[in-house]
Amino acid sequence: MSLAIANSIDDVLTALAGGARPIAGGTDLVVGARQGKSPLPESLIAIDRVPALSTIEQTDGHVRIGAGVTHSRLMSDPLLVERYTGLADAAALIGSPSTRNVGTIGGNVMNASPAMDTGAPLMTLGAIAELRSVSHTRQLALSDLWTGPGQTSANPDELCVCIVIPQTPAYSGSAYVRLEYRRAMEIAVVGAAASVVLTEDGTIASGRLAMTAVAPTIVELVGASEAMTGMAAVDAADVIASLASDQAVPISDLRGSDRYRRHTIGVMAARALDAAARRAGGERIGVPVNRNLGIGAAR
Amino acid sequence: MTTTETPRFVRADGPDKVTGSGRYAADLTLTGMLTAKFLYAGVSHARITKLDVTAAKKVPGVLAVLNQADVPLVRFGSVADRTLFAHEVIRFEGEVVAAVAAIDAATAQKALDAIVFEYEELPVVNDIEAAAQPDSLLVHENWEDYAADDDVSRQGNIASFTSIARGDVETTLATADHVISSRYVADASHAVPIEPRGVVAQWEGDKLTVWSSTQVPFQARDGVCETLELPTNKVRIVVPHLGGGFGGKCGFHYEAHIAALARATRRPVRLVFSREEEFLAPDRRREGMIVEITSGLRHDGVIVARKARILLDNGAYSSDASFFPHMAVMHALGPYKIDHVYGEASSIYTNHQPSGSVRAPTAPQACWALESHTDELAKAVGMDPVAFRQLNTVDTGATGVTGQIYEEIGLQECIREAVAASAYHEDLGDDEAVGVAVGWWPSFPDASGAYIKVDSDGKGVIITGAQECGTGAVMTLPYLAAAELGMAPEDFEIVYQDTSAAPYDTGATGSQTLLNNGRATVEAAREIALQLKKLAAEELEASPEDIVLADGMASVVGSPDSSISIVDLAGIAADGEMLLGRGSGSPPESPTTPKTVSCVGDQGMNAWAGPQFSCHAVRIRLDRETGVVRVLEVNTAHDSGVIVNRVGASGQVEGGVLMGIGQALTERTVYGDDAKQKNAGLLEYKLQTMADAPPITIHFAEVYTPDMGPNGSKPIAEAPNVATAAAISNAIAKLVGRPVRLLPMTAERVWETLQDERA
Ligand SMILES: Cc1cc2nc3c(=O)[nH]c(=O)nc-3n(C[C@H](O)[C@H](O)[C@H](O)COP(=O)(O)OP(=O)(O)OC[C@H]3O[C@@H](n4cnc5c(N)ncnc54)[C@H](O)[C@@H]3O)c2cc1C
Repeated sequence: MSLAIANSIDDVLTALAGGARPIAGGTDLVVGARQGKSPLPESLIAIDRVPALSTIEQTDGHVRIGAGVTHSRLMSDPLLVERYTGLADAAALIGSPSTRNVGTIGGNVMNASPAMDTGAPLMTLGAIAELRSVSHTRQLALSDLWTGPGQTSANPDELCVCIVIPQTPAYSGSAYVRLEYRRAMEIAVVGAAASVVLTEDGTIASGRLAMTAVAPTIVELVGASEAMTGMAAVDAADVIASLASDQAVPISDLRGSDRYRRHTIGVMAARALDAAARRAGGERIGVPVNRNLGIGAAR
Repeated sequence: MTTTETPRFVRADGPDKVTGSGRYAADLTLTGMLTAKFLYAGVSHARITKLDVTAAKKVPGVLAVLNQADVPLVRFGSVADRTLFAHEVIRFEGEVVAAVAAIDAATAQKALDAIVFEYEELPVVNDIEAAAQPDSLLVHENWEDYAADDDVSRQGNIASFTSIARGDVETTLATADHVISSRYVADASHAVPIEPRGVVAQWEGDKLTVWSSTQVPFQARDGVCETLELPTNKVRIVVPHLGGGFGGKCGFHYEAHIAALARATRRPVRLVFSREEEFLAPDRRREGMIVEITSGLRHDGVIVARKARILLDNGAYSSDASFFPHMAVMHALGPYKIDHVYGEASSIYTNHQPSGSVRAPTAPQACWALESHTDELAKAVGMDPVAFRQLNTVDTGATGVTGQIYEEIGLQECIREAVAASAYHEDLGDDEAVGVAVGWWPSFPDASGAYIKVDSDGKGVIITGAQECGTGAVMTLPYLAAAELGMAPEDFEIVYQDTSAAPYDTGATGSQTLLNNGRATVEAAREIALQLKKLAAEELEASPEDIVLADGMASVVGSPDSSISIVDLAGIAADGEMLLGRGSGSPPESPTTPKTVSCVGDQGMNAWAGPQFSCHAVRIRLDRETGVVRVLEVNTAHDSGVIVNRVGASGQVEGGVLMGIGQALTERTVYGDDAKQKNAGLLEYKLQTMADAPPITIHFAEVYTPDMGPNGSKPIAEAPNVATAAAISNAIAKLVGRPVRLLPMTAERVWETLQDERA
């Protein structure tokens, strides 16, 4: 096995072209190898010391979050907490402080677990992944990136350099909530994210929801915006809950039965919507919602 | 009453552990050391048809491959049903089939892969109720031939059985105003010490040293001696720092396997478990249990009769579990004043990992069942659950379920104080409630020994057989010795967990360290005190009876100017009769079984020595839409006698409560249809984390208990693990409208119970 440490994106791309696999925080890759999921790749290129991968940049109409940005930064960066709060909610729930200090957004997205936490909020925020290889750069919607549990449509020689999220409009808010049995080191039993834009009278102008751990990938709730446009968030909660329960295709495993997941995804979706709408209305709900509203684990 | 307060208790092993410089078994490296790996059965029930290690032995870098054919055919355990390696029949998935010693882990793995191991699968015994039927498939055929403790009564798959009978239950139930029956089912769970075990063995000539992460080095030594047929003085067990045990490292486990590998290879050999092995292999887990209780009540709330029937999942082998039925019956009958009782419990062989002592074995589950039932009783007569307990639980002078009459005890104080500290009487709204439960636990007086020497500079060493498993109990010994000798705790170092250096002790098991080894240490210190007084008397021209030892000085009573320092006395003694003390002494006698009670297959004691009592009040919040329960506060009160070390005792209560919360809400071992564990890892076996830890208040009802531990103390380590799950259950039942009858009371189970209640 070989491990090289990259200093620049070009270093990484060259290594990938030569067959190496990127390793960022290693919290999926190394832990998975130790658990026997799949052996460590023969050749690894460490990307955690590439400065260009760990920037958060605001550009015209977008924020670009470097793939190497850690969850600790995602949950505390003032811009993200203010405007992309659902993402900060998700980052703040991941693992433990030490997991968050090394685990990255790029690793989370490219690992493509159906239980990944940043996926649902990123999807509702309209994020796209920017992939680069020695020969090209392309942008891919997340729904096109994730193809199955642990599977992406990225080529092995492509590096995810950043996640690009469009600027959020006025009167908008987002939130992510997850069902969890304990308050650290947990994996989503189910989770839901919501982003909403309100009209001036406080009703919903548009919105998106996405769901964690109820399908082979993170999935967007189809028809959510249509179902709730023009309604007050409180009135939309039931509609969204049953929409979520209907569209979920959960499995039964040690963390919960399909019946229980199908019910609780509705609860989480309604709560995510509630928190997102309250934030859109100007209410400050600290990150993560789970701790501050007692959602998931009761307060 | 003397109290040895240790307000500034500093753990001698603290800095080592906190800074990471402490060495655990897995950290040891010896010259030429080999790596051991085990081949596990991986199947729950099978007959071995082929085991061929020829190819494995030929793998370059492999120095030994052993199986049962290479060691004496000795059966061991409280029922002698176990062999070191699988013998003819596999009875659970974690059974060791073969052991390899190789130059490194990868080579050892290659050898394991090269072993030809074939078997014919047998149907599995996976369900204790089915296994208890007379026509069930047997886990052990002809097991009546195995040797066992005298009192073990057995038939079919019943590995051990106890019944306790007093009075006339059936007639009393027939005439009771209310008769309530409940059934509760608890899943198996695990001890989960943070350190997976490690064992290193090395021979020098015919003498063996084993470094092992065991809670019970003397039992480990005896296991090695029994299975490898060695005399005790040839075997030395040393325990480096132990990274927790919680009962999981009680008993004898792999010391003999590694010793046999070391002997075969003439090299030191080291075994270090993975987390998965720690879950699957040891014959220690908390047993699954089915508890059925029926109580008869008078309209005024007095319990007149109770019967209980309990099935315990013994697993494939008995390790130390044959006294569990007794413990379970006592917990299902409880610390109540009831004249007519009948309780019976059977521990049933299955093809699961064996059950064995895990912190307060049987108690959290049986207490959970009984105390949940008790709230059902209170509801039936329309009484407040706390008032109901105050009416029916034992107090000083009262007669308990087995006819034992209690000397001074503090249970009523515990109930009063735990409830008073809680929000029990406050209006908590719709989603919060406080549940209350009482618990009890016996003390285990036992043989135990310690030496003390004080050298020429007045510094002492306590050489004790006691084992430290993280409780700090051993580190309390210097405080006891210092108090006897008028010296400072810092004057003493401790040599411990080395079977060749120190006299026998049972180990860090049964909450017994301070109870038994504390007495031994005090006795040893008293021998030195006598020596010091004699010496001082000579120097000061007084009589030894008139010498007092205090503040590092020996003085003549009433004339403080006539004194000499203990350091000076130690210097004098060093040139002649040295300052050496020894202590063991006879353990306190257990109370005798009252004649009014009849029992069968009794492996415990119906009259409990030094019974400890507790009451826990737990405030929870319920998320009604998901069933998620969060514990907000735990108010505890414990009668563990006089508290010798408040810092240490409080640590035990806090740890016990947290472990209890895990057992209540998240910790369970799930078995598949193949009788194999489905969640042998920390990803799916959910412990509580620090983020989940609620505020905990502690009240000690310090009842002076004569003739038990030092200074009127009783033990504390297991007691806090008894009543927490029960109290949480009662809080949940208040909010849900009925109890959740499955343990752990997972979010999904709470939610399902809410659905049932609504329907
Ligand atoms: C204790 C613990 C708790 C956890 N809790 C959670 C949790 O609550 N929620 C959650 O969602 N996850 C959790 N995880 C999983 C993990 O921490 C996250 O998915 C994390 O974001 C992974 O990031 P990483 O940088 O460590 O990825 P790595 O392990 O370095 O990489 C993961 C995968 O992505 C690839 N990769 C990494 N970066 C790139 C890139 N820039 N371009 C292309 N491919 C890339 C790697 O080759 C690898 O296949 C937990 C993990 C642990 C160990």
